[in-house]
Amino acid sequence: MGAKTIAIETCELHKVYRKHLGRKGKPTLAGLNLQIFENEIYGFLGKNGAGKTTTIKMLCGLMKPDSGSARILGQKVPSRDARKLVGYLPENPYFYEYLTPKETLTFYGRLRGLSAKERAREWDRLSLDLDLRDIADQRVRGFSKGMRQRLGFAVALVGNPPIVILDEPMSGLDPMGRRRIRDLIVRLRDEKKTVFFSSHVLSDVELISDRVGMLVNGRLHRQGVMDDLLATRVQLVEVVARGLEPHVAQEIARTAFRTRHSEESDHFSFSDMDQANAAAAEVLAHGARLIEFSPVRESLEDYFVREQVQVEVGV
Amino acid sequence: MRTLTVALNTYREAVRDKILYVLLFFAGATILASKALGYISMGQDVKIIADISLAAISIFGALIAIFVGTNLVYKEIDKRTIYTILSQPMWRYEFVLGKYLGLAMLIGTTTGLMGFGAAAYLWILGGAVNAAYFEALFLIYCKLLLVTGLSVLMSTITSPILGAIIVLTAYFLGHATGILLELPGHFDGTLSKQALEAAYYVVPNLGNFDIWREYANGVAVPHSYVAWAAAYGAIYTVMLLFFAAVAFQDKDV
Repeated sequence: MGAKTIAIETCELHKVYRKHLGRKGKPTLAGLNLQIFENEIYGFLGKNGAGKTTTIKMLCGLMKPDSGSARILGQKVPSRDARKLVGYLPENPYFYEYLTPKETLTFYGRLRGLSAKERAREWDRLSLDLDLRDIADQRVRGFSKGMRQRLGFAVALVGNPPIVILDEPMSGLDPMGRRRIRDLIVRLRDEKKTVFFSSHVLSDVELISDRVGMLVNGRLHRQGVMDDLLATRVQLVEVVARGLEPHVAQEIARTAFRTRHSEESDHFSFSDMDQANAAAAEVLAHGARLIEFSPVRESLEDYFVREQVQVEVGV
Repeated sequence: MRTLTVALNTYREAVRDKILYVLLFFAGATILASKALGYISMGQDVKIIADISLAAISIFGALIAIFVGTNLVYKEIDKRTIYTILSQPMWRYEFVLGKYLGLAMLIGTTTGLMGFGAAAYLWILGGAVNAAYFEALFLIYCKLLLVTGLSVLMSTITSPILGAIIVLTAYFLGHATGILLELPGHFDGTLSKQALEAAYYVVPNLGNFDIWREYANGVAVPHSYVAWAAAYGAIYTVMLLFFAAVAFQDKDV
């Protein structure tokens, strides 16, 4: 397999916001190093104030670092060439209230330098993809959160940029809205785009991300492929058997930390994979049926909280 | 193209600003009310009406430039519409210039509306609406473009309230540069003297644009003077826009 192409790279990014009278505050970014590969979905995690939005704003040319550098597909950030490659959805996107979605996309199409023909083509494509046609001529003023988010997504995709950066794209959306955004993000990867997004909705991040990075105190605390990060931490293993003799069930229950007996089956929960394996072997050896053997791995939320607590207590 | 896109959108947005209509209403009311002063001025009514009308266009135009202009960039940051704009592949100076041009178009529209309205009023009352009137109107517009430039500069570096105070102060000082020339003599040996002297050289002389009294009194103003005053305004305006672009270039939003 060939080496992966780096889509977004940051090197020792530092940023300190100034407080009143020019006094320096706590660093928001304290040497952030990131590498996001082409055609992956990268979930960017961190508590409020961890520096996620600051990083995203830097990548989109809205802020400058105090020191350090960043590149997008080899183009220096901030630069016009880098911004050409990026589509950006800010958190809670705001648009001119008096414009309609069609006028909004035309406005951004012009800023991207698209011709009238290209703008019309983009409207046809994006209004269909994001279901904007029914609201094409309504003013943004009366839009719900979900409608604004869809419009924001469409704006981020005007001009078909290869890299899409999304800041809290699921924030404040109902389950249907979140699912829609998730599906869109996955579709972007299918279209060979790179998606870099931050989110507090960790269940969604877990569902769609190829890799995640966790920002703590302005540094990348952990980074990795989702399966690698979470698979090593099996919280418990559920074993369900049917047709067990009572004495065998009692024997197995000794090593389980939780058991439940129903009319048809016996349920055992193990905290250890080896114990679960031994129990499964016992079930089969006694001619009973193994109905279920399911390791329950740690969720991303559990992982996030655990890591965060460890940092805070200094482990 | 991108500058024009921002300019047209700024115009469209500024037209919706309620303060614009409040100021236009008062400008119109002042122009119409000038007839009342005309009655008590013993045969000088047309002259008084011309004088007050053009002064009203200048003052209310400046107030529009100041109150809309100092809000221009700040509002984009405050309402967060700027995020999706500056993340597009455009230069920041294009944004600043577009905001300025949009407001300049609006000021052109309002000056034109007030100017042509006042001209019609004067014509109905038997006043002379000639080339001198439109030259006076043109220089008022040049002055307003300069005030707009200063307002946009303030909008990139400070809050609307502080910006408006600074531009209003500069506006009044700009009409009283003579005072800035005489005042430093009273502050010998203090820092105030240097500050006032510096202010004299920095603050544009807005009196250069006021030829409406000459028009009202029927005094001819050479075309060369009009051209000189317009060039003076243009140079100042370009400098102010340059500073605005520089101030905005590295601003974190």
